[in-house]
Amino acid sequence: MKSVIKHSLFNKLTTLSFALIFLINIGVSAQNGDPVKGKELFNANCAACHKLDAKLIGPALANVADRRSNKWLKAWIKDNNALRATGDADAKAIFEEFNGMPMMTFPQLSEKDIDDLIAYTSVKPQEAVASTTAAAVDPRVAEGKQLFQANCAACHKLEAKLIGPALAHVADRRSKEWLHAWIKDNNALRATGDADAKAIFEQFNGMPMMAFPQLSTDDIDKIIAYTSYDEPKAVVAPLNAEASNIAKPKTSTTWMSVIIGLVLLSFIVWIYLKSNNGFLKIVATIFLLFGVAYAGFAALFEVGIDTDYQPIQPIQFSHKIHAGDNKIDCQYCHSSAKHSKTSGIPSLNVCMNCHKSIAEYNGPVTSDKDKAFYDGEIQKIYDAIGWDKANLVYKANYEQVPVKWVLVHNLADFAYFNHSQHVTVAGITCQTCHGPVQEMEEVKQFTKLTMGWCITCHKTTEVKLEGNGYYNAIHDQLSKKYGIQKVTEAQMGGLECGKCHY
Amino acid sequence: MASNKKYWRSVEELKSDNSLVEHLGQKEFLEEIPTETFLGAKENLSNSSTSRRDFLKYVGFTTVAASLAACEGPVLKTIPYVVKPENIIPGVANFYASSMSDGDGFANILVKVREGRPIKIEPNKMAGNWGASSARVQASVLSLYDNNRLRGPLADGKETDWSSLDKKAIDTLNTLKANNEKIVVLSGSTASPTSKKVIAEFAQSFGNVQHVVYDALSESPALDAFETMYGQRALPNYKFENAKLIVSIGADFLGDWQGGQYSAAYAKGRIPVKGNMSKHLQIESNLSLSGANADLRIPVKPSEQIFALINLYNAVTGSNFASKPTPADAAIKKIAIQLKKAGSQAVVITGIQNKEAQILANALNEALQSEVYDLTAPRLIKAGNDVAVKNLVDEMAAGKIGALLIYNANPSYSLPNASVFNEALKKVKFLVCFSMSDDETAQKSQFVAATPHYLESWGDTQFQAAKFGLMQPTINPLFNTRQFEESLLTWMGQNKTYYQALRDYWTTSILNGSSWNQALHDGVFNGNNELKLTKNSIDVATSAAALLSQTKSGDFELNLYAKISMGDGKQANNPWLQELPDPITRTSWDNYITISAADAKKLGLENFNVSNGALNGSKVNLKVKEVVLNEVPVYIQPGQANGSIGLALGYGRSAGMQTEMMTGLNAFALLQDFNPFQTVSVEKVAGIHEFACVQLQHTIMGRDEIIKETTLDDFINKPKNEWNKTPEFSLNHEEVSAERVDLWEKFDDTVGPHFNLSIDLATCTGCAACIVACHAENNVPVVGKREIRVSRDMHWLRIDRYYTSDMTNEKAKEEGIFGTGEMFNTMTIPSENPQVAFQPVMCQHCNHAPCETVCPVAATSHSRQGQNHMAYNRCIGTRYCANNCPYKVRRFNWFKYANNNEFDFNMNNDLGKMVLNPDVVVRSRGVMEKCTMCLQKTQLSILTAKKEGRPVKDEEFQTACSSACPTGAMVFGDVNDKQSEVALITEDERAFHLLAEVGTKPNVFYHLKVRNTEAS
Repeated sequence: MKSVIKHSLFNKLTTLSFALIFLINIGVSAQNGDPVKGKELFNANCAACHKLDAKLIGPALANVADRRSNKWLKAWIKDNNALRATGDADAKAIFEEFNGMPMMTFPQLSEKDIDDLIAYTSVKPQEAVASTTAAAVDPRVAEGKQLFQANCAACHKLEAKLIGPALAHVADRRSKEWLHAWIKDNNALRATGDADAKAIFEQFNGMPMMAFPQLSTDDIDKIIAYTSYDEPKAVVAPLNAEASNIAKPKTSTTWMSVIIGLVLLSFIVWIYLKSNNGFLKIVATIFLLFGVAYAGFAALFEVGIDTDYQPIQPIQFSHKIHAGDNKIDCQYCHSSAKHSKTSGIPSLNVCMNCHKSIAEYNGPVTSDKDKAFYDGEIQKIYDAIGWDKANLVYKANYEQVPVKWVLVHNLADFAYFNHSQHVTVAGITCQTCHGPVQEMEEVKQFTKLTMGWCITCHKTTEVKLEGNGYYNAIHDQLSKKYGIQKVTEAQMGGLECGKCHY
Repeated sequence: MASNKKYWRSVEELKSDNSLVEHLGQKEFLEEIPTETFLGAKENLSNSSTSRRDFLKYVGFTTVAASLAACEGPVLKTIPYVVKPENIIPGVANFYASSMSDGDGFANILVKVREGRPIKIEPNKMAGNWGASSARVQASVLSLYDNNRLRGPLADGKETDWSSLDKKAIDTLNTLKANNEKIVVLSGSTASPTSKKVIAEFAQSFGNVQHVVYDALSESPALDAFETMYGQRALPNYKFENAKLIVSIGADFLGDWQGGQYSAAYAKGRIPVKGNMSKHLQIESNLSLSGANADLRIPVKPSEQIFALINLYNAVTGSNFASKPTPADAAIKKIAIQLKKAGSQAVVITGIQNKEAQILANALNEALQSEVYDLTAPRLIKAGNDVAVKNLVDEMAAGKIGALLIYNANPSYSLPNASVFNEALKKVKFLVCFSMSDDETAQKSQFVAATPHYLESWGDTQFQAAKFGLMQPTINPLFNTRQFEESLLTWMGQNKTYYQALRDYWTTSILNGSSWNQALHDGVFNGNNELKLTKNSIDVATSAAALLSQTKSGDFELNLYAKISMGDGKQANNPWLQELPDPITRTSWDNYITISAADAKKLGLENFNVSNGALNGSKVNLKVKEVVLNEVPVYIQPGQANGSIGLALGYGRSAGMQTEMMTGLNAFALLQDFNPFQTVSVEKVAGIHEFACVQLQHTIMGRDEIIKETTLDDFINKPKNEWNKTPEFSLNHEEVSAERVDLWEKFDDTVGPHFNLSIDLATCTGCAACIVACHAENNVPVVGKREIRVSRDMHWLRIDRYYTSDMTNEKAKEEGIFGTGEMFNTMTIPSENPQVAFQPVMCQHCNHAPCETVCPVAATSHSRQGQNHMAYNRCIGTRYCANNCPYKVRRFNWFKYANNNEFDFNMNNDLGKMVLNPDVVVRSRGVMEKCTMCLQKTQLSILTAKKEGRPVKDEEFQTACSSACPTGAMVFGDVNDKQSEVALITEDERAFHLLAEVGTKPNVFYHLKVRNTEAS
């Protein structure tokens, strides 16, 4: 549900009518496996010994269904020993191939689960493609890269000016000997009266470069090799392939439900119009009334609940790239979460801490969001704050404009929620309420944010009494008076109205 | 026995045949819902074009439409800073130390700032007594967001820019300097040393410059007297905490007398620790706040105050100065004996605005060798000079003034001869008014230099020679304004900001090597400066003779005064102050004359309550010399001296403000020769005035023994049961204390904090700082005069004012007049000079709350922390809770008070809304609200402690009212913490619960009032 409007009336009415059809549909399951579910199951059960695209302890499982029948796989996974005991040739062959190491049995997995697993393995893994390209590179270049990142990257980039000039193909501009002398001790070089050395010094406003006497000539050559090497542009297949694959079976289930619902509905209509059986009519009426009531209530209870709300943001900020790929801590940007009731949308100067030196995106891209797209999004920060990325300075007298983000989690004004209480005191991870944000390309509301949702958690969550001086006295009293060692948030008064409504 | 006294809040209650009071005793709302008018007439109903079917259709349609319309959720933007200031964390408040010193309020304060917006004023505890806040100091934060403030400088009423104003000013001032024409800076008192220095430098740079200080509420006579006696223009300091006996003749020292800020010191001596409580005697005409707190109050006419002062001087010193007899003479003889007995621990003060009277009082204190009368650290707060102002007006009229720069004063409004002044203004060649609003003076000025509010300004204060304070900006200037001092610096060509000037001056002359940053952080700095006094010999006899000759008596004498809410009218556009009920008259949105019942009868004036409980009154014309004030409302005030009339200044502002706030009449015209005592003639005129008076409201179901008091004598010498008896009930055929009888199971409140609020009626002066603090902290709406009239005030905290006399049921039985009209008449007679008691009442947070049991939707519920919660979003507005509350503390939102043009106060404009506390919900129409015991503050204290992993410190638990209380009468804290201040006083002998016999087990408790009335 990605829209500018939060939840349209139309959506509600569709929910209302579809809810009825879903109700009729209970028990009817789709035959196709669900790859999303399958992925979860794979990670939980199989990933310890299997990978999709490579042999681990067990064989690679990508497209295993192409090699084995569905029935065989179900039998194997549930109890491979039993299957082998039946004398199945394939089963025996595998056993021998892996030096007589038997696979664990998984009797707990249902047939549906295994269908899901197979659906997941049938999706073509994409990451493999990207990883293969980087392999065949001169080892000196790789070493040079390491040296460059350890010594030079603080001030230089390959393609763009940072504190010092861009260094890509610097060997084309300067001689090797000159570079050796310059890098080892540029001050000494300048002292000899070298014209180039002086020119650079002046170009950068008399800011001298550090000297690197510790680098050997060979090291420098390696670095030069790295700067001269053009990394091939990684051709990465769209990541979204997986996502679009996932979407399909879901829609088909929806349509199946619709069709079955319509069939049932027409059956009821038929009963009314054609049947003479009074009892059947009464049953149909009761069924219809309860169905409508159930669906109606279900729909009304959904009013104001915006789970999966995913508004279009002014900057398409990807939490996946920041928190997922680059593993930036949530609270680096949302720094007030530990101090304040609000988690804080980071101000642009926080973005600039990194984006001063990261002006372009070099990570994996998808078909609809290429490098140019992400670079354009980064440019939006610069436009807002007035950063001149060519000269690496803030533009003078620039009229800065704040970014008008769209609020995703909109808690009602009459409910008081304090992030620091949950983050600092209770030590709850952000993902508990916000979901796997590190996997979200665009953030959406993960939980319902209803009072029932709050209360369920308060009823089940134990207060961390240990190690917090505030609770010492309370803990003593509780254990002395009631012999209680553990209390839930609710028992501590966390269900009282006024704790959140004032 | 004192505790059996009859209390009343309105004279109406004393009339035996008053059906209205009886009705109010039984019902909270006087008017029934008029169902009869539209349901009673059958034929109307049947003839209606809307049939029952249609009605149901409409209901169905509107319900569906409303539900469907609600389906669309709002899309909200969340906009972060571009560059976040380092010290701001959104959602966390910062506190900055600053000072308020505008001539009408002097205090060192802390300013609570949220996301760069000041939202609350708190007292600065480091400043001692100067840190105490008052109603006006508390309310000043709203004046920052006054929608009628000037947005920028004006030239001839049109917008201009600073550079053209500067150019014009510099040219003109230099021309004037070349011609040696006189330039005058007319400013109100600011007590700012740096400001004085900048003006002095300005004077130096332009030659013929005079600085005239003008205060609308002037203390000029006291300053003159002090100057004559000690050679310095200052005010004596009084250490009331050391006093055993305080005799005040017309000095409302708990109000605005000599700049105020004495209540904290006074209260320290009023805590009735056994045998150690000061005695306070007041001789006055109006029933002032100080008079209401006095142990003995003697009402006399204004002229008699003067005679009483001379008589008292004679009686104490044995002199024999000529005087006249007064009704208080017998008492004065006794007082003189007590004074002599108390000796150096006694003090005599007077509010008579006459230099000779002030000399007499000072001389009397010297004769007593009073230690309360403190000459070591005189006060430098008020500096207005009436003579200089008079001369200035004369000079202006004679065309001798080249330029006039007016700052922090509004003489066109507040001068007694404002019309003369306004005419004279036209003869001034260059006139600049430095003002925050386009007020009366600004409208008549050529140029108006818009000034920032003090919360946007740099500045400093010197309240006493060694007591310095700093003022710092807590918000970026909202508008295109510039500080007065900065304008002067610009015009004299000094190329520096006022901040630089301030810092330079502090470094060179005040700090003495101490850290500027530390001083700025603390907001106060104790220097080692001294004010050298030279003692001049004075001839008291001459003074006494002069005083007598200057005194005129009349049939009616006027005593002008200032209210604790409105002061001199600077903050008249502040709705919180307009709505604040006067502590004595309990009337808001008005000024009026106060007159005694006897005089009112004589003149045929009356007050009466109309059917909905609102108060109406007659009107009179007042005439002082040639000046007539027409149609002044009349309020009959018990305790008003016969032959005297009180009238509040500060009302009747008419420019630079919202129409809703233009209330009352301007009485400054009657303040002739700056003297608040005037002989006056009163003439009744036709017409009825409608008051917004809350005194009959929130009745307590006839349980009028809600307040308790005793005398110091009984308190010391008799067992508790005689003066503070807890009601008893029969349980199992045994009389037990009502506290022990319980229908309900006890709530387990022993784990975690359990909050109690204690209110000491002995030290509560009724100053109302708590009411305004509650307004600010809890987003309490202002409802306006019309709504107050119909009992719909929204104050979560009210201060009930009770009058009492000596007539009791017992006494009446003894005299055989019990239940007769005579008894009620006898009760009415002492109402000429009743004793007064104040009692702040807010939600009592009952452990067995009657409101909770009747709520059909469980919107109000109890918490283990002792607070009675109110979930607004759950409330459906049945008002059962309000009906079942024995204390009548619940308030119903009859309207949506925010964003509503019908209630065009601060919650109806974007600027005014900036003062709202973002941690507290703004309530909507149709829900009940009440005091939460500042739940948001207690929760925050707990959370802070949890985050830091430590127990909460006692002083961290505060409510808005307890924190604002200047006298420390309100103590708030956790009773489960046995070491907390509040836990220690729960067992005090004076402690009692309101209506303990009801068995509500409140978490608010009181300490009964003790009057020091033992025989001398």
